[in-house]
Amino acid sequence: MLRDFAVPEATVQPVTGTAVAHSLRYRRALWDSATVDALLRHLTGHGRRAVEGLGDDSLMRAWESTVEEFLDPASEPRRRLDPMWSQACALSPAGLQAGVQAVLGGVRGRPLRQLLSQAGRAEDDSLISVILAANLPALAVQPLLPALAARRPVLLKSPSSEPFFAATFVTRLAEREPRLGEAVAALTWRGGDARLERPVMAASGRVLAYGEAETMARLRRSLADRLVAYGPKISLAVIDDGEPERIAEGLARDVALFDQRGCLSVHAVLTTRDAEALAQALARQLSALAESWPPGPAAPAQMAAVQQLRADAALRGLCMPRLPIRAGSVVVETDRGLEPSPGLRTVRIHPIASLEQAPNLLMPWRNRLQGVALSARRLETIEPFLRRLGVSRVAPPGELQSADALWHNGGAHPLDVVGAPRAGARHPSAIGE
Amino acid sequence: MVEQRVREFIRRPDDAEFNDLALAAFRWQCERSPKLRSLAMRRGHSPGELRDWREIPLVPTRSFKTTQLHTSPPQVIFRSSGTTQPRRSVHPHGHLDLYREVIEQTFPSACLPAAPPVPMLSLIPSTEALPDSSLAFMIDHVLRRFGTEWSAVAIGARGVEFARARSWMGKAQRHGQAVVVLATGLALKQLLDVLQRRDLRFRLPRGSVLFETGGTKGRVEQISRQELLAMVHEHLALSAEHVIREYGMTELTSHFYTAALRGGDPDLFIPPPWTRVRVLDAESLQPLTAGKEGLLAIFDLANLSSTVHLLSEDLGVLEDNGFRLTGRAEGAALRGCSLAAEEFAQLSPSEP
Repeated sequence: MLRDFAVPEATVQPVTGTAVAHSLRYRRALWDSATVDALLRHLTGHGRRAVEGLGDDSLMRAWESTVEEFLDPASEPRRRLDPMWSQACALSPAGLQAGVQAVLGGVRGRPLRQLLSQAGRAEDDSLISVILAANLPALAVQPLLPALAARRPVLLKSPSSEPFFAATFVTRLAEREPRLGEAVAALTWRGGDARLERPVMAASGRVLAYGEAETMARLRRSLADRLVAYGPKISLAVIDDGEPERIAEGLARDVALFDQRGCLSVHAVLTTRDAEALAQALARQLSALAESWPPGPAAPAQMAAVQQLRADAALRGLCMPRLPIRAGSVVVETDRGLEPSPGLRTVRIHPIASLEQAPNLLMPWRNRLQGVALSARRLETIEPFLRRLGVSRVAPPGELQSADALWHNGGAHPLDVVGAPRAGARHPSAIGE
Repeated sequence: MVEQRVREFIRRPDDAEFNDLALAAFRWQCERSPKLRSLAMRRGHSPGELRDWREIPLVPTRSFKTTQLHTSPPQVIFRSSGTTQPRRSVHPHGHLDLYREVIEQTFPSACLPAAPPVPMLSLIPSTEALPDSSLAFMIDHVLRRFGTEWSAVAIGARGVEFARARSWMGKAQRHGQAVVVLATGLALKQLLDVLQRRDLRFRLPRGSVLFETGGTKGRVEQISRQELLAMVHEHLALSAEHVIREYGMTELTSHFYTAALRGGDPDLFIPPPWTRVRVLDAESLQPLTAGKEGLLAIFDLANLSSTVHLLSEDLGVLEDNGFRLTGRAEGAALRGCSLAAEEFAQLSPSEP
């Protein structure tokens, strides 16, 4: 039976009960402050020493083998996890697999080796706590890997709507390398339980949190500079070159992956090319992707927002290729203002006369843009500007969402985030690794 | 001519005439709005070919943010509050007499505990403070038309003016005549919070009514409906059947009220006879039967200024002779690889 927690074997184990999520039963930990205190003592004492003595090779072997296992939908943990996981992430099974491949595919092989080779031991070896979000499957690996590379103990707080991946991953990691099992815990609790949250906050040298702006502001007030906030951002595409059908194929992937819920999901397109032709091609590709990566369940509230957008486009006589609402929506927008998509694979295409017009349109989004899918011959016209805007990733259409372990999420090197000194002179660029 | 027919219908509704008048109103609007005319033509029908009011194209509330929709020279331009949305709806209103007529035909029966004039305390800004608010326009008219001389407005730029509200409620308590308190959800919550903090309880006279409109989402700490009603009961001595909810919007002219004062369900909104409310499947936009959740589509004969047939952003279910609100379209939002961190922070101490 799945569990919503994974804690070191040698610490006090929580009392558990049986619970039901998405019609499936699982074992749920019932945390109390004494058990959480014991866990925190273990992680920051025995756990910290255990991970300190771990060599790169041992860490890499255990990590890579665990990642490979979770990439395989036929593996034992995936067969147990998937029925719950796809529902908790509101993704179709095929959409989940595509998302898992995008996330886990980036934390193995060359980027993994490179990250480990760059990582020095952190002087500050205190606990890192990570507050995870539910919109992306397997998100836990992104902060976990650099924290372990820095040899710091880690507490992963899963969202209560999806507590299973992190717990299952940590369990399998610990089975391969028990020293990691001593230093990492994954657990969840309903937000607001001060008995549990206060000691976790107090014991953490750094808290990495994924959340909305208000949440980040609130956490900032209590954590000050101990907080690393992954606040809300969106991504878009700038298309100045390329064969339309090929570009559209890539854009459709960047839109549809994670059902447009990631911060690297494309919401809007600026193009100097034939916007209506691109819209038609993108609609065809989204239609095809709706077959291979069927969308997950859509909430009526989200459909309502998309219906508003569609009905408004109809009233204004905008170009809007026919697509079932669940497959996506593509609108050629005459309004120059960029807006976030309401979701459900909805994209607005904004025609521009030349690349030189892009900066003015993008400027209001300074520090709120995470990535740009870029197809342009004259990269020098736009790339430096994107850096100044705070864009952390630029990639060709179709590759934007496949960030790897070296990605500077939010503009910061992953090792800097966990306080690890970086060995070696060659640091990857903040843009387009 | 159409305006006159609509006004007469509002005064003396006749179901048999509704369809003809609805089609006439739409034709009238199309003559004045190229956007509406083109929309109808793109749907394959000229306005004159339509036979049923349900065939009249729906205009989404979003279009009030993107498009000029007015059909008549505006007498006033109403705008949505714009506090939670980056763009504001704009509704140039050219039929204010019709708006007043609607208020006079619906407000008293839904909200007045006795024959007017009735003492009223308003926690809703006046048109002097918010000249482009349709709600302020409505409340000004209500106060002028149905309030007593000692009715008062107790809200300013910084929110509820507590001292004034407290003094007014004290006077009302002593006076003994049933009163009406008019409030937005946000102002009501502000008032109740202060009353709670100061441990103050008023006993508003028997029969008094609380008129409540709008929500508080994203503005104040959310509490459940039940908790709010419990606070109203504790601090104002008003029970749920004396709380009248109003549902209206900048993009419409008519309002919908719950019928709690007449013994109706306190959460069921009753459409007035010159409106029709349908619930549409959020995916197909096909009409749904009672009990199924979908998008609210509202036909409002009085909304001659822009569109008579509106696709709202609200979700609801039809029930008996009314509808219940169940949700709202999710606003476009930035995605932070992040949706659930707020549950962690929601009740976390903001100070050490």
